[in-house]
Amino acid sequence: MKLSLNWLKQYINLDGISTDEVVEKLTTAGLEVDDVIDQKKLYNNFVVGYVKEREDHPNADKLSKCKVEVGGEEFPIVCGAPNVKAGQKIILAKVGAVIPNSDFTISKAKIRGEESMGMICSERELGISDNHEGIMVLDENIESGTEFCELFGFNDVIIDIDITPNRADAFSHVGSARDLAAMFGRNLNLPEIKLSETDEDVKTIASIEIENAIDCPRYVAKVIKNVTIKESPKWLKDRLLAIGLRPINNVVDVTNFILYEIGQPLHAFDLDKLAGNKIIVRSADKDEKFITLDSKERKLLETDLLICDAEKAVAIAGVMGGENSEVTNETKNILIESAYFRPSSVRKTSKKLGLQTDASIRFERGCDVNITLFAAKRAAQLIAELGDGEITKGEIDIYPNEIAKKEVSLRVSRVKKILGFEVAIEKIKEIFIGLEFEIVSELEEVLTYSIPTFRHDIEREIDLIEEIARVYGYDNIPEIARIGVSVERRVDNSRFNDKVRETLSSLGFYEIITNSLLNKELASKYGNPIGVLNPQSFEMSHIRPSLVPGLLATISRNVKVNEKNLKLYEIGHVITKFNDEIKDFSDFEETEHLLFAITGLANDDEWHSKKRESDFYDLKGFANSFFKSVTDYSKVKVKYNQTLEDGIFEYSISNIIGKNIFAEGGKIRAEVLKEFGISQNVFAFDINLTELKKNEVELPIFKELLKFPKIKKDCAFVLDSNIDYNAVVKIIISSSTNLLKNVKLFDIFESESLGVNKKSLAFELSYFDDKRTLTEEEVEKEFWKAIESVKTKLNAELRG
Amino acid sequence: MLDKIELAEKNFKNEVVTVKSLESLEELRIKFLGRKGIFTELFEEFKQLPSDEKPKYGQVLNKAKSSAQKVFDELKGKLEKSESEKKVYIDLTLDGREVELGSKHILTQTLDEIKQIFKGLGFSIYEGPELESDHNNFEMLNFPADHPARDMQDTFFVNDNFLLRTHTSPVQVRLMENKQPPIRALMPGKVYRNEAISAKSYCLFHQVEGLYVDEDVTFAELKGTLVVFLKQFFGEDVKYRFRPSFFPFTEPSAEVDVWWQPKGKEGRWLEILGCGMVDPNVLENVKIDNEKYVGYAFGMGVERIAMLKYGVGDIRVFFDNDKRFLKQF
Repeated sequence: MKLSLNWLKQYINLDGISTDEVVEKLTTAGLEVDDVIDQKKLYNNFVVGYVKEREDHPNADKLSKCKVEVGGEEFPIVCGAPNVKAGQKIILAKVGAVIPNSDFTISKAKIRGEESMGMICSERELGISDNHEGIMVLDENIESGTEFCELFGFNDVIIDIDITPNRADAFSHVGSARDLAAMFGRNLNLPEIKLSETDEDVKTIASIEIENAIDCPRYVAKVIKNVTIKESPKWLKDRLLAIGLRPINNVVDVTNFILYEIGQPLHAFDLDKLAGNKIIVRSADKDEKFITLDSKERKLLETDLLICDAEKAVAIAGVMGGENSEVTNETKNILIESAYFRPSSVRKTSKKLGLQTDASIRFERGCDVNITLFAAKRAAQLIAELGDGEITKGEIDIYPNEIAKKEVSLRVSRVKKILGFEVAIEKIKEIFIGLEFEIVSELEEVLTYSIPTFRHDIEREIDLIEEIARVYGYDNIPEIARIGVSVERRVDNSRFNDKVRETLSSLGFYEIITNSLLNKELASKYGNPIGVLNPQSFEMSHIRPSLVPGLLATISRNVKVNEKNLKLYEIGHVITKFNDEIKDFSDFEETEHLLFAITGLANDDEWHSKKRESDFYDLKGFANSFFKSVTDYSKVKVKYNQTLEDGIFEYSISNIIGKNIFAEGGKIRAEVLKEFGISQNVFAFDINLTELKKNEVELPIFKELLKFPKIKKDCAFVLDSNIDYNAVVKIIISSSTNLLKNVKLFDIFESESLGVNKKSLAFELSYFDDKRTLTEEEVEKEFWKAIESVKTKLNAELRG
Repeated sequence: MLDKIELAEKNFKNEVVTVKSLESLEELRIKFLGRKGIFTELFEEFKQLPSDEKPKYGQVLNKAKSSAQKVFDELKGKLEKSESEKKVYIDLTLDGREVELGSKHILTQTLDEIKQIFKGLGFSIYEGPELESDHNNFEMLNFPADHPARDMQDTFFVNDNFLLRTHTSPVQVRLMENKQPPIRALMPGKVYRNEAISAKSYCLFHQVEGLYVDEDVTFAELKGTLVVFLKQFFGEDVKYRFRPSFFPFTEPSAEVDVWWQPKGKEGRWLEILGCGMVDPNVLENVKIDNEKYVGYAFGMGVERIAMLKYGVGDIRVFFDNDKRFLKQF
């Protein structure tokens, strides 16, 4: 909300307090200042000028070439407005002026070859109206050189504050001034009401009936007759303009003024348009329709509250009035509504209609039920004053069930328990006096206060403690740094992922973080995604069921900027639904995944090596290094998926622990990559971390170092080329005892010299026993047994 | 015998001066000092001598052999040295065989730094799910239905009861429901806000939340703890302020600003975290005695802090994952 400093000063004496101090105090009171605009600075370099000469621009039809005199100095100005003439007094934005509500700074320029040292302004360019038909022409008696802000009385400072939802009380100039008064220890001065009323009793002119007293606990009305609708006086327009409101007419302006003065929303009805001169407050009928002031038809529900006359609805309570009863230039008699509506009722209606107004935002946060009468009187007084109207006698005040002030008790000892330092009881009392809380009783250090009805946020002891801290000043609260030692075992849910990240980063992978929201079509190709009801766009409507699309999109973007050689990984949650309707946590599964991928060159041409494309074996190697680092690899089984019918992989391997497949990695199909515009090979591994975490080695147990020698034996077989390496290894292992500890393939050789469709595989077999030295004889026996097995089972020949 | 020794010595001396390489030196060694070399043969001869003659020749022979050995050793050392000096010339200016290291995302690195500080202060680390119930995300945290406070966090709803969590606070709820105080926990994770994507905001961000519930936790301690964090993270001379704010799940509540002074530009206060004392209603909701126990909680956005610390002007850069960006950290 925008506050005008001049306006604030109407309610609190700020003599001797600088603007900076006011701004700081507002912030420390919890009314955070977002922005401060000093009008004098804003209109720096805007001055009154005299158009001494005007001629057509030599190179442009619609432009004029002028000489403008400002306080004895002359400036060449090129102007595009049709109404500029010699002899006019105008407002000139000189070089260096910044046009309000824009970032445009006036500088010295050549316009179609003619020099221009400023700009003659329209009202819109000055930010004082929407008029942009031509330049603003001033009275010819105004002296040239006069500052614009001096001429228009723009000597205000506008302070933009953020009102948190709990502080509805501060949503006006008086409300903010009340906080400042408490903080500075000064008095709050409320405007005085002096009414001169006619003898005609308002009750004989109009009547009010509340059918739904739950949603409308109080309704106050006053009637002003024979009002002349006209332009508001300058003081009122200035107030509204200062805070960014557009003046309309004296009646509407008064209601807006009071809203921003004391926070009470008012509505002015044309009394002659109210059938039966009657107001009925009732719930809407189902599917009832109503046209609001903005000319839109609104469909209502039974939970919406309506203001009606004897025949029809005239306003949606607390939200917006209707076209059918609005004040126009012909209006003579006015009924002012000053009501209190139940916050949650207004909120529901405003939310449902998607219609938030200055009134609704205040009602939904909670207005002051006890200011309604004051507000109605203040409005009547101002409307009568500004529109030469007559205030009829008295008011209609329907208030069936009085809302009592809340009483809240505070144990003084509790203040220290919560805040951690002692606040003297006298200080506490002083703070509450400043906030207009009235003490009801004081018994054995228990203070009970009656809370003003404008403070909806004070209901409990903790709320009183908060007020003490707030007014005492958060900056004055001591800082106690206590380094606690907890005896309980520390928990770190993120430790495993930390290790995963460290391992991958040290293997040369860069971590990425991608958007978890995808479009439906894409997301559905990777699982069974859950959609959100209210997405920002259809591109981000579903929660990712897989990390793959995010990673492929990242590869695609990088390739486009010529970063083609990539090793990337992401850790993130993926969500898959089991049932279309999500009623429970069992209807979907949220798991944490790791996806890593390689693409492009494994290494480029270097003086020491030749360039090489990344391939499946790079991926598999990284996967094995990774698994060995983060899990008990001896429990991991592998499944080979040579040919896959569907899915994202052309071929892949799966990793299994127990019965759970927790990881799959391989070459991503070209068709999948094509959708992302990727034409280079991508190899990726997708790992369910939630599963993998279960197999974490929390505490590795030391194994004795080997004291006995290893015996290594080499052999090479010539086999059919379609026999997998793994098949050979399996036979070697199954035909050996546990003395064989490792089988390593150290060469693959294919040549026609071996025969057609033949290859040679060379192995190194390691034998040892951790309890004794093996004899050459027993190893030889093992070794030859393995060779014979391979020979017979795979029809292999021993080579060399 | 003596003549033979003398001759051997003489021959050795004559030949040794012609040796120029390790190869010819090795030939010389074999000829004179090897298993079948001249000196070895002389020793064999020496063994055959009658024992009364042995002392006469033994000393001479030993001396001759050891002096030859000495000359040999010296020469070998010299040759090896010059040989190695000759061979070790390498082009030191060539590039090494570099290995490209990867890195953690800068947001992870920032979070790690935050975690490190709070781990040192005794905090455990807990995580929770991103798709949450309205109950855990709002109701338990004192956001009643139809309350304006709900407008503070634009929410992606899945339906009336499920949503993408708007903060990591539901992890607090899950934790407190399952554990009685003392609880001292840090809760990092992704959170979602239904906001248009721009340079300043993204539909998701990373939050870290802290919670401490015990018998003697106070607002002053909250302030002290956060000041320790600010000083460790931003430096000893960080300028900060605590100002009143509002969150439904804390009371009193505060926001913390740090003074940010970019070079050559106007300085300004930047909000970096929200905090407060756990609202008694929240403790009651999770069945913790709110008379006996008091708690504090705080939360901050990792993106915002990283933007500040590393001078990143556009939040979207974090999620574009351009390698040229990733490589910088």
